[in-house]
Amino acid sequence: MKILEFEKLDSTQKKAKEIAEISNPWTVILAKEQCSGYGRKGNVWYSPKGGLYFSVILPKTKIDDVQMLTFLSAFCVAKILHEELGIKPFIKWPNDIFLNGKKVCGILTENVICGKDVKMSIIGLGLNTNIEMFPDDLKNIATSLKIELKRDFENRILLEKILKGLKEVFNIFY
Amino acid sequence: MRFKIKVGEKEYDIELLETENEIEVRVGDKNFYFQKEKEPFLAKTKFDKRDFKEKKIFAPIGGIITEIFVKEGDVVKKGQKLFLLSAMKMENEILSTFDGKVKNILVKKKDSVKKDQVLLVGE
Repeated sequence: MKILEFEKLDSTQKKAKEIAEISNPWTVILAKEQCSGYGRKGNVWYSPKGGLYFSVILPKTKIDDVQMLTFLSAFCVAKILHEELGIKPFIKWPNDIFLNGKKVCGILTENVICGKDVKMSIIGLGLNTNIEMFPDDLKNIATSLKIELKRDFENRILLEKILKGLKEVFNIFY
Repeated sequence: MRFKIKVGEKEYDIELLETENEIEVRVGDKNFYFQKEKEPFLAKTKFDKRDFKEKKIFAPIGGIITEIFVKEGDVVKKGQKLFLLSAMKMENEILSTFDGKVKNILVKKKDSVKKDQVLLVGE
């Protein structure tokens, strides 16, 4: 699994899409901050330094399998947060993760499909780890691990655990 | 139906009798009964009926059409982006499978579509 790390990107999803065709499956795009991080329907994902933002170029598979992986990825992240940090996150179906009623992690999958052929699948994940505060329009709906647990987290360690989890889920089902 | 089968040096008299459900085989003075095989079960799939030579674009998954990038009369190339289809937590770019002209667009923005629904017909 190759991790390409960037100081700053528009969006890890955008970068992953650009390089997907020339990259091996399980290539990971990691950015310390994103200036135009986005979620579903183009909604902005607030991505200052401190958070964990990455996209994974997935192996080509059937659309239903990608859908299943997308659903299971939230479970995978929640399980890691529970096991590593001893917290009990809430999964809002299908795959937002909440802590104390506020969103702490979002997951988005993007596919490019031509007929029966899924040409590209990229899963992106934003986990609010070491974000100290949110702007006024977000502070009532978003939170971070640091705000909730009052300490810092090693993004790289969490990243590696999440990637391992995603790969395990993928290998079990496909 | 009667016939003889020779196996090695030995010859057998065989008689075959067929009823609706069974086949009876008499070999000499012994009778053997066989049940007729039922018709094999064939799974029905919508998929096989699809004609991929036809210039039609299908929804690969159920969801909502969030963007339409072409209009009727447009000339499109294979691989060109036609629709954005949002499914549960997945955004799907739907590309053209053909070179040609957009004849009919059968959906509008914000329409909810089912898997395998025809979205666009080309010519």
